[in-house]
Amino acid sequence: MTRNAMMDEWYPVGLVSQLDAHGRSTALMGEPIEVKRGDDGTATVARSDGRHLPVCIRYGHVWSSLGDPQKPLFAIPEADQPGRRLVDVGVVRVRCSPLRAVENFLDIAHFPFVHTDILGSEPHTEVQNYKVEIREDEDEVWATQVRFYQPQAAKSAEGGITTEYMYRVPAPTCSILYKTCPPRPGEWDVITLFVQPLAEDLCDVWPWMALFDDETPMTDLIHFQQTIFVQDRSILENQIPGLLPLDPGMEIPTRADLTSVAYRRWLKRHGYTYGAQLVAQ
Amino acid sequence: MPAQSPAGRVALWRGRSGRVSAFADRCPHRGMRLSHGFVRGETLSCIYHGWGYAQAGNCVRIPAHPALTPPETVRVATQHVEDGGGIIWISAGEPTGGPPRFEGLAPVRSMTVEAGIVALEEATGTSIAGGLLDYTNADTSVRLLLAPESPARTLMHVLIDEDSNPDERITASRAAEALRRAAEHIERGGTGR
Amino acid sequence: MKLYDYVLSPSCYKVRLMAALAGVKLDIWPVDFHPGAEHRGPELMALNPAGSIPIFEDGDLVLTESSAMLVYLAAKAAQQWLGNDTAMPAARVQQWLSFSHRLTASLGAARLHEMLLRPGNIDALRGQGTVALRELEAGLIEQRIRGQNFLASDRPTVADIACFPYVALAPDGGVSLDPYPAIRLWSRAVRSLDGFIEMPGIHRLHELKPEPGPEGGEA
Repeated sequence: MTRNAMMDEWYPVGLVSQLDAHGRSTALMGEPIEVKRGDDGTATVARSDGRHLPVCIRYGHVWSSLGDPQKPLFAIPEADQPGRRLVDVGVVRVRCSPLRAVENFLDIAHFPFVHTDILGSEPHTEVQNYKVEIREDEDEVWATQVRFYQPQAAKSAEGGITTEYMYRVPAPTCSILYKTCPPRPGEWDVITLFVQPLAEDLCDVWPWMALFDDETPMTDLIHFQQTIFVQDRSILENQIPGLLPLDPGMEIPTRADLTSVAYRRWLKRHGYTYGAQLVAQ
Repeated sequence: MPAQSPAGRVALWRGRSGRVSAFADRCPHRGMRLSHGFVRGETLSCIYHGWGYAQAGNCVRIPAHPALTPPETVRVATQHVEDGGGIIWISAGEPTGGPPRFEGLAPVRSMTVEAGIVALEEATGTSIAGGLLDYTNADTSVRLLLAPESPARTLMHVLIDEDSNPDERITASRAAEALRRAAEHIERGGTGR
Repeated sequence: MKLYDYVLSPSCYKVRLMAALAGVKLDIWPVDFHPGAEHRGPELMALNPAGSIPIFEDGDLVLTESSAMLVYLAAKAAQQWLGNDTAMPAARVQQWLSFSHRLTASLGAARLHEMLLRPGNIDALRGQGTVALRELEAGLIEQRIRGQNFLASDRPTVADIACFPYVALAPDGGVSLDPYPAIRLWSRAVRSLDGFIEMPGIHRLHELKPEPGPEGGEA
């Protein structure tokens, strides 16, 4: 196999809060790895041949890489803002391409049909125009001014509101969503999707959040995000082909899919093709 | 509902009028299986983004863009379907005639058997004749219409005399279960597993 | 009535679903089952030494088996769901209530393995799940021949609610429901009931609602 550009990226491989000496046996891009707390209390990640891999602790997770990361892990400045509650949502395994999992996270048009009465509902299905760009300085995909009708803005809220979203893709299998924060107008709630690629068609997904919310019990916050992600899971396991097609002829995008179009273009440009299908079959 | 045809997986669906259609089981938008979708009136919609398709396979609705008339190029492949005598037939190409009729027989159930047709023939001790396989278990006789889905998997439609009463139909269903067990036993032995 | 609940647990969902169908309001206590393993913590272990959820409380009554919770809710608020008017349906209800534990042990364990990385022999679990689904399919075929669309009689009972969640979520554990047309029809019948609620992994039947009109109003 030729060396894939994705080898040198950082990936989540476990929750810091669940790190123990017993360890977690998992995998990264087909390689079995072991994540554990070492004798000195720090996290170690090792391949089955005992070779140690780079480790980084950030955003509630242990991160590692099979290759030689050229950059530090992407920054989420909001994560360090005082007053935010950091939510470890936990892992959910999905039999799908890690890239399909990210692309679905970037999509709003499915809200009325998959997250019915929570994130969207008929007849409020229209996706208004929004802005998408590949920011060359940061080398990230951004979608801004994304607005969508949300029937249940918060657990306590009666009736719907128009929620604004910003999406950011700083790494091939990670995305950060900034979402209207009802208790703090002017601030954004941060909801992330960190995807650990186990294989080209199998991934462990680690959602994580940094929210301004002093009211809702932690368990409710976890359950809300698990609900949303598991609603997506049965979609992700039933897309054909399983790999994300980067050939433009294979699937039909509309204006509502411009984030996905930019994401696919960005993946192709960088050769981030682990979990992608390059030629229509 | 999902089904198999020689041309691949299909989504079989029935509109409110009762008309049956067979689509390739994949939405051209994002590749989601259309057999997970929903039917309103004469339209099958994808569960993922609600794109709706008419019986001819053309897209008639993209909910993200309600004012947009979907371009003609957005369509799913369709297959020819015939509803005959309680059995739905799919033709991969253009059929030259109607589907076979099995006069005097009524369908009881369809079931998937993890065995090939050879194992099913061996389990019944007979061979397919006139398109059907006969099977007799104790006093019960059923006729089986077989559609191979792969070399080791067969979709088996169980038919019985149309004058049978409910008790006889239940007995026929149980006989078909016995046949499935026998055929799968042969299949496992035959492949040395 | 208080339910210690986990939103992704099909056994907890049975109780939420039965309560919704019976028109009973539950006091829901969310349990951090995953990732927090709160059900194994001292407080909940004191309530249920088996370390499982759901746990149900009503006054002095503490229940830790979901089938018992379904029967209690039905007996309190929706007695027609007990299906015990005559011997035959009463026995069938008990048959399928007991059977539902095999679904939990097979399809449920396969789902936990595939989704939340719990240990298990996945091939064996799927095999046992397939055996159970075939039994259910055969049972439903026979019910349809008798002119009955539900497991124990011509109307839904606690038996249907006990079996429905793990069956509907079988694909989460990598067990396809494609080979079971009678299960498909029965699942649609359950999902079409007045008062039905979903859980993650079981989507809304959008066909029950009319197509929105071109102006965005109801057609």
